[in-house]
Amino acid sequence: MKTRTTIFKMLALLIGTAAVFSSCKPKGPADVAMGDAASKVYVAPGKYDEFYNIVSGGFNGQIAVYGIPSGRLFKILPVFSVFPESGYGYSEETKPMLNTSHGFVPWDDLHHIALSTTKGEHDGRWIFANGNNTPRVARVSFKSFRTEEILEIPNSGGNHSSPFITENTEYLVAGTRFSIPMDNKDVPISSYKENFKGSISFVKIDPVNGHMNIAFQLRTPGFNYDLSRAGKGPSHGWFFFSCYNTEQAYTLLEVNASQKDKDFIMAVNWKKAEEYIAQGKGKTEKVRYAHNTYDDKTHSATSKMENEVLVLDVSEFPDIVYFIPCAKSPHGCDVDPTGEYIVGSGKLAAMMPVFSFTKIQNAIANKDYEGDFNGIPVIKYEAALHGEVKKPGLGPLHTEFDEKGNAYTSMFVSSEIVKWNVKTLEILDRVPTYYSIGHLSVPGGPTAKPHGKYVIAYNKITKDRYLPTGPELSQSAQLYDISGDKMRLLLDFPTVGEPHYAEAIPASMITPTSTKIYKIEENEHQYAAKGEAQAKVERKGNEIHVYMTAIRSHLTPDNIEGVRLGDEVFFHVTNLEQDWDVPHGFAIKGAANAEILIMPGETQTLKWKPLTTGVVPFYCTDFCSALHQEMSGYIRISPAGSNTPLKFSTGKIEGQP
Amino acid sequence: MKKLKPLSRILIILSAVLMVSGYFLPLWQILMWAPQYPEGLDMQIWINDIKGDVKIISALNHYIGMRHIEVSMFPEFQYMIYIVGFLIAFGLLASLVNRRFMLVTFTTLIIACALAALVDFYLWGYDYGHNLDPTAPIIVPGMSYQPPLIGTKQLLNFTAFSGPDIGGWIFIASGILAIGTVVFEFKRFHNKI
Amino acid sequence: MLSLISLTMLAACAPDRPNAGGGDPAKTAVEEIADPTKGLGQIKSVTLNTPLEQERIGRGKAIYDMKCSACHKLTDQRVVGPGWKDVTKKRKPEWIMNMITNVDMMLDEDPEAQKLLELCLMRMPNQNVSLGDARDILEFMRENDGEK
Repeated sequence: MKTRTTIFKMLALLIGTAAVFSSCKPKGPADVAMGDAASKVYVAPGKYDEFYNIVSGGFNGQIAVYGIPSGRLFKILPVFSVFPESGYGYSEETKPMLNTSHGFVPWDDLHHIALSTTKGEHDGRWIFANGNNTPRVARVSFKSFRTEEILEIPNSGGNHSSPFITENTEYLVAGTRFSIPMDNKDVPISSYKENFKGSISFVKIDPVNGHMNIAFQLRTPGFNYDLSRAGKGPSHGWFFFSCYNTEQAYTLLEVNASQKDKDFIMAVNWKKAEEYIAQGKGKTEKVRYAHNTYDDKTHSATSKMENEVLVLDVSEFPDIVYFIPCAKSPHGCDVDPTGEYIVGSGKLAAMMPVFSFTKIQNAIANKDYEGDFNGIPVIKYEAALHGEVKKPGLGPLHTEFDEKGNAYTSMFVSSEIVKWNVKTLEILDRVPTYYSIGHLSVPGGPTAKPHGKYVIAYNKITKDRYLPTGPELSQSAQLYDISGDKMRLLLDFPTVGEPHYAEAIPASMITPTSTKIYKIEENEHQYAAKGEAQAKVERKGNEIHVYMTAIRSHLTPDNIEGVRLGDEVFFHVTNLEQDWDVPHGFAIKGAANAEILIMPGETQTLKWKPLTTGVVPFYCTDFCSALHQEMSGYIRISPAGSNTPLKFSTGKIEGQP
Repeated sequence: MKKLKPLSRILIILSAVLMVSGYFLPLWQILMWAPQYPEGLDMQIWINDIKGDVKIISALNHYIGMRHIEVSMFPEFQYMIYIVGFLIAFGLLASLVNRRFMLVTFTTLIIACALAALVDFYLWGYDYGHNLDPTAPIIVPGMSYQPPLIGTKQLLNFTAFSGPDIGGWIFIASGILAIGTVVFEFKRFHNKI
Repeated sequence: MLSLISLTMLAACAPDRPNAGGGDPAKTAVEEIADPTKGLGQIKSVTLNTPLEQERIGRGKAIYDMKCSACHKLTDQRVVGPGWKDVTKKRKPEWIMNMITNVDMMLDEDPEAQKLLELCLMRMPNQNVSLGDARDILEFMRENDGEK
């Protein structure tokens, strides 16, 4: 009896010890109680979302358009990447859009979005985007949601701090991510300090039609330029850039570019630079860069090679650029809605400095400098500082603002959004994100007049948020309600590509002017067939041009003969429809490029080179009507040198008149 | 020279044999959670090896200047197998010799080894958490990253837990059995008087 | 010449969007339209002139070639839609112009238009033709039907 008791006691002790230890284990991420979140993101069938969310696609080179608060995906809008779905970059009309000084580059890494503003507020006219890889900027029309212009940036090693815009969309900026030796010079990599330079391009935007042109470039010290924001209100006329690798390392930057306690925020007085340019102080440099524009009357793009750029070396003009020390490797460099405060987010730092524009101006006036870097004055940290946000979280990246004087900063390492007051620098709230947030977006967040209401987190890690789909997952975004004191998680939604920056704009600013059709009367395409009477087939040497029309539910001509092996066939398809949402598609067997979609009133061209003789079908790819399956035709390919006569028809039956 | 009761001899053998599992099961575990690691990261210490997400943990820790965790960091692995072997052999011998002082020595040895292991682990943890690379990308002033000895601790964005794994629990069971046997023996002695 | 033509356009009578819902569409149609043979839409009455207005005929033909000819022949042959021969003798001018400019509502509610849909199995598309352009097309149709 005694023996048994003792054994039981031992067992009890063992189990007790185990229980105590187990209770020390922390719990995994808890389920987030959301209350009435469902009703806050529910947009009833047939109803519209409140905001358009214009989201960069990262390495897919596209922009995606979502509705907020529903998180529904409305459109994938190709910018720097070919898009076989619509034929963008494949049709003869759109190929020139992707031309560069390196030839046809069908891909890019699209990081940032800037929506056009007037007086610092959204005006709903254009979307600007950057190509980080082969340096480019693009302009997309808010009317047609189509890419209308792409401008290559010369003297750039990768266009990251771009396409941020000034208060009235006077300029768009394009700062090089990597410094490089200018003029494609062949130098040792180890001569970085001596030969490598930074380059910041100021692209002038035509206020009427949005056309972009490089007004001038600033030649700056050789290090990395990360992100930027223009001043607004009192700081209008200035631009702020975050800089890292002020160590000027050229290898293992992970370590070697993280050594200094402080890098720089670069403040640029662009009005001053403008004055110098007006005085003719800019030096003309020979360069080569492509400038591509799309015309929605000819429905065609043209690519022009430009060969000059005006350059101001800031070391020769000491009152254009000033450096402000900023905690380790700043990433985000965000200006608050009043234009007074500039938030530097040192992604490796344990606090966030907030600078005051007024103090910066005073420091410049009083020459309150701690020294210089390559001859450029470095303002004393304390002289420019409004204050530091203490212990905000780990890995601060980007900051957006609401209409109530609050800031929202994304924390990559601690995977959270931290809300704080811009004036008092007091931390007000924090919410977790799932997982490892990169950029974030408050509707109107970068403007002088934020719309507020929500903050959207664009996360870098998805893991278990959705049904698993193999090793490669979609990216995860979260929508939070910020209308109250506490941020509340409302919704998870998957995103395509890898979103970086995004902006959101009220739908009411966009929907009234959205293009529904292209007027067939205004179609100025060289090969348009404006009516079936103009449909025809022409031979020009070994080129066959088919002027084809499409209307529910037939293509004209739909019987084509007399094409010979060795010919190149151009199908110029005009959609005769004039009603909203009646696109037609065109595809032919064996096409080595893509299909094309043709919007009502538009003409698009698919080039096709037959490789064998025979009769090849073609058809409409976009289900257009009850008789869509009938919307098809045949082209006959005869051997090279044969004398099959060139002829074409629709509805004609051989032997009948 | 008191002889042992038959039950005590069985319990001692049980205690010694249980420790054989130490060669086949993980002894200690360190678990880590972060917001972006909802499934957690897991590191297990075996009698002569470290297993689990060691590479991921090392890759993360290098940002804050912590060294890569490698088997060669632990000279203990060279002789741990012999110490445990000796303990098992001593247990079996104690049962065979059938003397009470052998039981007491066996129990004392187990407790001493356990304490030594904890001290050793603490010293390693202190060195690992404090001896940081001064050129690390992220340096948080005043921050060190010593893992918890036993229990839970918040280290930057990670919640770390340290505690016995299954093999460790069996070792604890062995120890409790040995201690219990001592208690059992001495209680019997007093009852007789 | 142009001033002689009067088109009565009552903005107030502009049709609701078909999916706006509410009310029995057939009943509404009967109430709104005194003469059902004139169809549904903004066109309440059209003044036709003799002789034909040549300017209109020219413009009407150009619009026909661009926006209509893909489906409508000028003979009585039906292809996608009915041939236009004698259409001005079979239909009131108001009905024709309403069919051109207000096709979606006509196909949904006008019994004659619905009969044609059953026959052709193809909804006539809205080709974004303005009222003035529709009048030009009407003049071209009259010419096609042999009027002078």
